[in-house]
Amino acid sequence: MLIDSNVHLGPWPFNLVPAFTARALAARLRENGIGRAIVAPTAAILAPDPGPANRALFAAVASVPALLPLPVVNPALRNWSEQLEAAASGPLRAAKLYPNYHNYRLESPRLDAFFAAALSGRVRLVVSARVEDDRHRYFGLKVTMVPAKSVGAFLGRHPRLHPLILGLGLPDIRAIAPGHANFSTDTSFIEWRNALADLVREIPARRILFGSHTPFFVTQSGVAQLAASRLTAAAAAAIGGGNAARFFEL
Amino acid sequence: MRGGCTKAAAARFAGEARSRGVVRMVCLGDVLAFGAQPTEPQVRVINDETARIGRWLPDTFIGFCALNPRLGERAVMREVERCVGGLGFRGIKLEISNNAREPCMKPVMRAAEKWGVPVLQHTWSMTNIRKRNLHSDPEDTAALARRHPNVQVIMAHLTGCGYRGVLEAKGVDNLVVDTSGGYPEAAILDFALEHLGADHVVYGSDLPIRETAITLARITGTAMSADERAKILYGNARRILKL
Repeated sequence: MLIDSNVHLGPWPFNLVPAFTARALAARLRENGIGRAIVAPTAAILAPDPGPANRALFAAVASVPALLPLPVVNPALRNWSEQLEAAASGPLRAAKLYPNYHNYRLESPRLDAFFAAALSGRVRLVVSARVEDDRHRYFGLKVTMVPAKSVGAFLGRHPRLHPLILGLGLPDIRAIAPGHANFSTDTSFIEWRNALADLVREIPARRILFGSHTPFFVTQSGVAQLAASRLTAAAAAAIGGGNAARFFEL
Repeated sequence: MRGGCTKAAAARFAGEARSRGVVRMVCLGDVLAFGAQPTEPQVRVINDETARIGRWLPDTFIGFCALNPRLGERAVMREVERCVGGLGFRGIKLEISNNAREPCMKPVMRAAEKWGVPVLQHTWSMTNIRKRNLHSDPEDTAALARRHPNVQVIMAHLTGCGYRGVLEAKGVDNLVVDTSGGYPEAAILDFALEHLGADHVVYGSDLPIRETAITLARITGTAMSADERAKILYGNARRILKL
């Protein structure tokens, strides 16, 4: 069974994906061969404070062991330390960041204290570089993906961190990878023909985690991509679950 | 297909597609090989390459004739006659030479009607893209289809057309939407099924840009009846292409 590192729970106002309950989401994933998933609360993306959405997520998945809650932290808010502490108390000891929705730059010096605290507190960091295709976003929502240049500057500024960066495309990874080895990424936006085979030529397979981006994307498409890839069995197994198990210490 | 496609590459694409169950493919040619405004000789080069690929694997590839409508009626008619009448192409492919509402489309549609072939129009929501003099929004393509009810129009790129594009296509009998293009976003195909019905959706892979396994899984991973799936994956295309 696969481990999916890029899943959300909750409705999104700019598409018509039916809102899954936690159980229905787990069932959808299981139908597609996904045994466990790292799940973030969609509501936290647009919320002024991610706390309520995080608490709702923890309550929703409490009785669904296949879904592992990944709370969202907004380090630009004054209470980041409190948020980080709450994230550290979760089963994943991890926090998810949405820089482009929460109006900060990853490489900003004002976040140095936050990242130092995450490092010293051994809180894993997951960064969402992109939730939607920029071309299809709601016309009034001027949010674009986190630029590769910003990701590179962030990784260079914090070389001891090793975040999981979700939603990068192959061109982004080609821009970032030559200068920085201290990150992992997921497969959700790696979409071109034979792109997984190309991706493992850019970064080692051990730094690539399977991500379906459910429910934004059709779950089966992400699974089909991995199944159809021309990877070695060992690489496919690592991407399909081994790397996530290691990254999140599952 | 990309310019300079070799026989081996064409065979590889065909083999990969066949391994996923895709047995026939519409070959559109490298329509942007010379930019948005190819000259008449450049259009012929594009179509000659399509014809060459079709000759290599006639049981797999079905050619569509690339055109630049802004070259005018005589050039359009000449090329359609050459490709459809002479080379056995079964459709017309329009990229981003002009907007689908422009008067230069009239000869294209007259040619399509005369030869009884569909017109595949590249279409993308122009909400966040500001090049409407070259690109066609779903409302432009739907308007084209309404103006020419005797021509089958294929509106490319369901995801790029979006929810608004589906509603533009609703009720236009001679219009189908293809599923190619963009990431495999959830819910949009469900929306198209609800509002257009399976008779108005056709599968598109975007090969060789996109991964066939992913584009097929968009269809097989969306809840629908076996009959609806059959229409989208081959039934509608068979009807439109007269296979």
